[in-house]
This record gives sequence, C-alpha cells and structure tokens, in this order.
Amino acid sequence: MLRRPHLGVMALLLILLGLVALLPIMPPDVAGPYAIKFATRIVIVAMMVVSLDLLIGITGLVSFGHAAFFGLGAYGVYFMSPEAESANVLIAFPVAIALAAGGAALIGAFAVRNKGFYFIMVTLAASQMLYALFHDTRIAGGSDGASINIKPELVIGETSLLDLSNRAALLWLSLGCLVIVYGLSFWLVRSSFGHVLQGIRWNEERMRALGFNTYIYKLAIFIIAGALAGLAGALFAAIDGFVPPELLGWRQSGLAIMMVVLGGVGTLYGSALGALVYNALEETLKNSAVVGPQISDHWPIAMGLLLIGAVLAAPQGLAGWLPRFVPRIGGTNIKTAPMDCAVHAAPVLSVAGLGKVFGGLIANDGITISFEPNKVHAIIGPNGAGKTTFTNLLSGTFAPTAGRIRIGDVDVTSLSVHRRARLGIGRSFQRTNIISAFTVEENCLIAAQAGPLAASGVEMALRATGLEDRRDRLARELSHGEQRQLEIAMLLANGAHTLLLDEPLAGAGPEETQRLTALLRGLATNHTIVLIEHDMDAVFAVADTIAVLVNGRLIAHGAPDEIRADAAVREAYLGSFELIGASP
Amino acid sequence: MELALVQLFNGIQYGLVVFLAASGLTLVFGILGIINLAHGSFYMLGAYLALTLTSITGNIFLALALGLPLAFAFGAAIEWIFIRHLYKRDHLQQVLLTFALILIFNEVQRIVWGSYPHAVPVPDFLSGSIRLTATLAYPVYRLVLTGICLVLALVMLITITGTKIGRLIRAGESNREMLELLGFDSRLLFRLVFAAGTMLAAAAGMLAAPVESVYPGIGERVLIVSFVVVVIGGMGSIRGAFIGALLIGIADAFGKMLLPGFASVMVYALMAVVLVVRPAGLFGRA
Repeated sequence: MLRRPHLGVMALLLILLGLVALLPIMPPDVAGPYAIKFATRIVIVAMMVVSLDLLIGITGLVSFGHAAFFGLGAYGVYFMSPEAESANVLIAFPVAIALAAGGAALIGAFAVRNKGFYFIMVTLAASQMLYALFHDTRIAGGSDGASINIKPELVIGETSLLDLSNRAALLWLSLGCLVIVYGLSFWLVRSSFGHVLQGIRWNEERMRALGFNTYIYKLAIFIIAGALAGLAGALFAAIDGFVPPELLGWRQSGLAIMMVVLGGVGTLYGSALGALVYNALEETLKNSAVVGPQISDHWPIAMGLLLIGAVLAAPQGLAGWLPRFVPRIGGTNIKTAPMDCAVHAAPVLSVAGLGKVFGGLIANDGITISFEPNKVHAIIGPNGAGKTTFTNLLSGTFAPTAGRIRIGDVDVTSLSVHRRARLGIGRSFQRTNIISAFTVEENCLIAAQAGPLAASGVEMALRATGLEDRRDRLARELSHGEQRQLEIAMLLANGAHTLLLDEPLAGAGPEETQRLTALLRGLATNHTIVLIEHDMDAVFAVADTIAVLVNGRLIAHGAPDEIRADAAVREAYLGSFELIGASP
Repeated sequence: MELALVQLFNGIQYGLVVFLAASGLTLVFGILGIINLAHGSFYMLGAYLALTLTSITGNIFLALALGLPLAFAFGAAIEWIFIRHLYKRDHLQQVLLTFALILIFNEVQRIVWGSYPHAVPVPDFLSGSIRLTATLAYPVYRLVLTGICLVLALVMLITITGTKIGRLIRAGESNREMLELLGFDSRLLFRLVFAAGTMLAAAAGMLAAPVESVYPGIGERVLIVSFVVVVIGGMGSIRGAFIGALLIGIADAFGKMLLPGFASVMVYALMAVVLVVRPAGLFGRA
C-alpha cells in the first residue's frame, strides 16, 4: 500500500515548489525568461509523470503509450484555438482533457484486457498509431507540427484573468495544476478505489476472486490517468504555442517511464522528483559552461551512462534511496470499527452434468452433485482426477463445456469469477494467494470492500480465524499456516457463504494442520465448505461428506464411513484407502 | 494489377527483412525474458556496418561475411556488460536500461557516421532489373535479397527444430525456469542467444541497406515494427514472427498503394484486430 509520503522529502519538494513559484518575481539576472520557461516545462512534465505513476506504480499497468494522451491534450488546445484570437482556457482545456480521456477510453478498452508484456506492447502500438495519424495526415499540421498563433487566455465573463502568453501566468497556472493533480492522485490512491488498484497490482487473480471487476477498475484508472496527462499536455501546448507530432511518440512515452522509474515507482512524489532530476540533469549535461564541451556535445552518452548506473545501483529509484537519510514518520491511518458478525444463510450449491474438455483431454465428465449448506464436503481422488478443474468450474475460472451450476435457485453457469464471488462463492488457491505487501488487516479490508459486509466483515473475519493479534503484520511476514488462515479470513470478510478451498493443508505442519482443521469445523456451523485435500487423515476427520473423482468422473459421494466401505472406491483408489481402511 | 504484383513482391521482401529483425527480438524475449528496446540499434549497426564495410571491400556480400561475426561479438559484449544484470529485474528496469542504451548508441552513431543519410551501392552484377512480364520489371537485388532472407529463415528453422542448441532454445522458450533447474549453464546459452539476436537484427540492416538509404534513427522504425510483429505472432514464437512479419509487410505495401498516409496506421490496426481475436497472438500461449 501507498504509505504516507516521507515527510522530510515532502518538505524539500514543497520548498522547491515555493522557490519555483517565486521565480517570476525575482530579478531577471537571477531568473530570466529561459529559467521560467524551463521551470514551467519541468512542472508540466512532473504532472504527466505523476499521472503515469498512477498506472505503473499504483495499478501495475506499465503503459508505453502515455505520451499519446499528453499529445492529445496539446492537440486539443490547438484544435480549440482560432486563427486570429485567443481561445478561452475554460473551454479549450476541458475539451483537451476530454479528448485525452476519450482517447484513453478507446485505447484502454482494448489494452487493459492484456497483461504484462502485451499491455506494454498494445499501449505502445496504440500510441504509435495516433502518432502516425498526426504525422502522416494533415488533420493538424502533419509532420511539421501545429502552431497556435495566439495563446489561450482565461476569461470569465468579459474580463481576462490570465493570459498564458505571459510566462509568469503560465508558470503559476501550471504549478496550481500540479498541486491539484498531485492532491487528486494522492486522495485517489488512499481512497477505497485506490486500495483496489493496489490490490490489482499485487494480486489481480485474488482481487477477481474476491468479486472485484478488475477490468472496470483498470479501465477507470487508465482514463483518469489519460485525462490528467491531457491537462499536462494542454499546458505544454501553451509554452511555445507549438505542438509537434513527436509529442505523442514512443520516445516521449519511454522518457516518461524513465522518469517514473528514476524517481521511484508507486510513490507519486517520487515520479515528480524523477521528472525534476532527469530534466535538471539533461539541462546540466547540455551546458558546456558547466561540464565542458567534450561532454555537452555528446550529452546523450553521459545521460545514458548515468541512467544505467541509476537503474543498477538504486533499483527502487530516488524515493527509495533518499529517505534512508531521514527517519520515517507516521504509518497507515486505516481505521475500522468492530461490529457484529453477520450470519449468512448459505444456499445449496449444486451442479448437473458438469463437463470440461481441454483439447482432447476430458478433465471433468458428467458430474452431478449437490453440496448441502453448513457442512464440510471433501473432494478426493488420485492426481489428475480433475479436482482442481472442478474447483475452477465452480468458481468460474473456466467455463464448462457441458452442464449447469446453481447457487440456490440461481443459475450461475455463465457468470464470471467476480460475479460469483458477489453471490457468495469464495475460493482459495493451491498456492497461497494473498496480497503480500498489505498488512493482515488491509488484506481483509480490501476483501470486505468487495462484499456486502463492508468494515464489519473485517473484525468478524479476524476473530473467526484467530488473526486478531496479527492484524498489523505484513502478510509476507506470516508463517505459512497463518497465511492460509488469512486467505480464509479474506473469504469471510468478503462475505462468502460457500468456501472452495484447494488444498488448504498442503505444506502445513502437524500443529498447523490441527489448527486449520479446527478452524474449518468451526466455520462449518454457518458456511458451506468444499475442500480439496490430499491429507486423508484430515479429510476423514473433518468432512461431513466425501466425493470421489476418478478420471474426471464422480464415482462415489457419501458420508466418510460409506466411502470407506465403497467397493468401487477401494478398487479405483486402492493404495491410500487401504491405509485408512486399516485404521479407522 | 501489375502495380499490385510489384507491391506484393515489395511487401514480401520488406516482411522478410522485418522477420529477421523480429526473430531476434522474439528469441531474446522468449528465452532471456528481456524486453530489449535497443534491438533497433542493432539493425542500425548492421546498416552502418554495411555502409563502411562495403566501401572498404567494395561488395555487400563480403561486407556481410565480415559484418555478421562483428555483430555477433558486439551482441555478446553488450550482454556481458549490461544485459546480464537485468535477468532478475522487472520489465520496467529493462525498459529503462535498454532505453538508455539507445541514447548512447544513437550518439555514438552520430559521432562515427554523422547525421546525413548515406546510400549503399548495389553490387554491379545485381544492379539491373529482371523482366517478369511483358511490361513489368523488378530489381534483381530485391529478388536476391528476398532469396537470402528465405534461406536465412530456413537455416534458422532447421537450427531450432533439428539441432541440440535448437532443442535447448525451444525448451527455454516454453519454460525458462526449467532449463535452470535442469542444470544447464543458462549464462552461456543466454549470451549466445542474445548475440544471435543481435546478429539477426544486424543481418536485416545490412541486407536492406542497399534498398533503403542509411540514416540516423533507422533502427527505431524497425524496432516498433518488430514489436508489432512479435505481438501478432505471439511472444517467443519464431513461426509466429514469420507469419506476422509477412502479414505486416503485405499490409504495409498495400496500405501505401491503397491508402497513402494511413499505411502505418494500418499496420497497427492489423495488430489490434489480431489481439482482439487472439489475445496471445497467432501462435502464442494464452
């Protein structure tokens, strides 16, 4: 989670901002027109880079096309600027922002379906497509770029409040916008919306399983970030009144990523720092009076080497490196009020004729079974019997090739993972699937947020799983067994009445196994538990019913004693059952 | 009709050149897991090597024979100095470091070869045109170029499907961790693959040099197109890169003929369509 920013570094940045704001009223030999323009550029680029960090650092979406929205904002101002008079900022800027947001919506609708490398490439290609459009056609000046003859003015009624051809006015407006963009981003990240975004960054699968429609969240932040970049672009167009198509190109996007990484991913203020340091560095290296002509003539080499040094020496960026010198103040400020535990009425989960074929492999074949509420149902079977496939069908990860799935009277066969989660189906995974960078409480909070219980679910879940005294520990610091407990706590906080648990005991020691089975028994008083497990002793000790899958087929379902006595099960499953049969 | 035929030839030829570059990129990503933005710089290196070595030896083929080993060695050196630090790092840091490499390579190019475009001569014995039909002639060098690219593609295919190192490469493509678990010296394999990828990009640059002029920034266009090809074909798939490159080449050629001004847009639109239908590319694993 985004922690409170480092106060020392923040103070430093605030002082810097104040100094920048004073630039225009300093004597010209201290800060000439060039210095003011340079400062304006840094402020605008910082704004753009902060918006990119919302995608990269907060949500984990590495967009390689963010400059496209910056460029669209700039072109928006050009489109709104008449030949012979100035445009009104109050009209031109909203249009520019809307243009950028519209572009982001269009591109994002495709792009956020993709992950990792594909997301990088789709955003890259989409922005290159826009670049080609502006570069190769004459919709706006083509490859020569577009010129704005008269810069916009901020007019209310008849009076002109700000004329952006005045350098000081533009700088102050840009500074104001940067403060607003930063404040907005910071507030957004600390909001419940932002918590979900951070959850997506760390563990999208888990967030979906908790019932969040992650597609919508990712698209929303993509559009918001695009709109903020559009604002920055609109301001940028007012610096020189010139908009070259290269503004949308991949180099600009790459530079923006570079500044985010240089500053420190996921901290917001770090990316502003990155923008400052990168631009100041470039300006210094280009200045032969400072570094000598040998370097200034070939500054990209020095720049490249410095960047490589930075990435190798400080992978966390400046924000990870600077605060080492000042102690951290403050922590998270999430508060929850303990409330009463909600009691569910779990409906019957039933499937009829369920089948799943992968290519030529029949993984599940004609399974018909119903799981009575408030009981522990174990599913056992040899390796490759189709147990995990079955769980995936129940949770909605896979769509079945045949059959129907019902929760109570509701047919959920065609519902996605997050829709089923909202109906109360929670699942855990074979490999522990929690958000390791969050605390125990934060994990439960994010789970509660997706469900009907809200904050009351958190206390209930922590109490039910016995994790109350671990609430402030980071999830990654927990023992394996505790992580398993946390996973179940998340399902409870999420408001699940039916828990699909895929090998919750795998890797647990004897003591942990005992604790977890006791937990499951306790939960079964008001939850339905479907359990896939290899530990036969535990299964026979904890389960009310046992279903046996062999080669994708259900060959038996009944109470533990019936299963133990079943001839077909004995035949199919000889080895391990002999053992259990021998010592009932 | 005849223009369409010429454009088809041009598209195939361009597609094959792009394939050489893109296959290097997809190998490096598939096996090393590295997003190499500097891959276009290796294409540029090839183009400028062609320029210099052709002026020394007087022949593009002699230049190739000298240039390819040089490019291979260069790739191995870059891997050793920079890239090997990135294997355990995330995509962002790869992007940052290889982006920084582009800055350096472009500046070195400017120092060594200057900012003006240059032409690389076609060898005399290939300089004519060949009559295809009564009214249609096609430059011999372009046909030879197409042939050489096809041969190289075939050699690559045979290497990958039929040799020991090819088997390692395919294994690495589908499961990189597994190779390490099995105890292969992945450092050596990685260096070889990166060097081979560099050589492939440089080969594309050298072969195409007599057809296009050689100019600064020549690699960046190829870089973006190669990424598009890799995405269309599916990450890490050589076969996918081949089909993707031909599709892109033909789309580009016909785009220039039918919708001048929108040719490059068409290339990206093609990619968008492929991704909507098959999110992991034509031959990628979902």
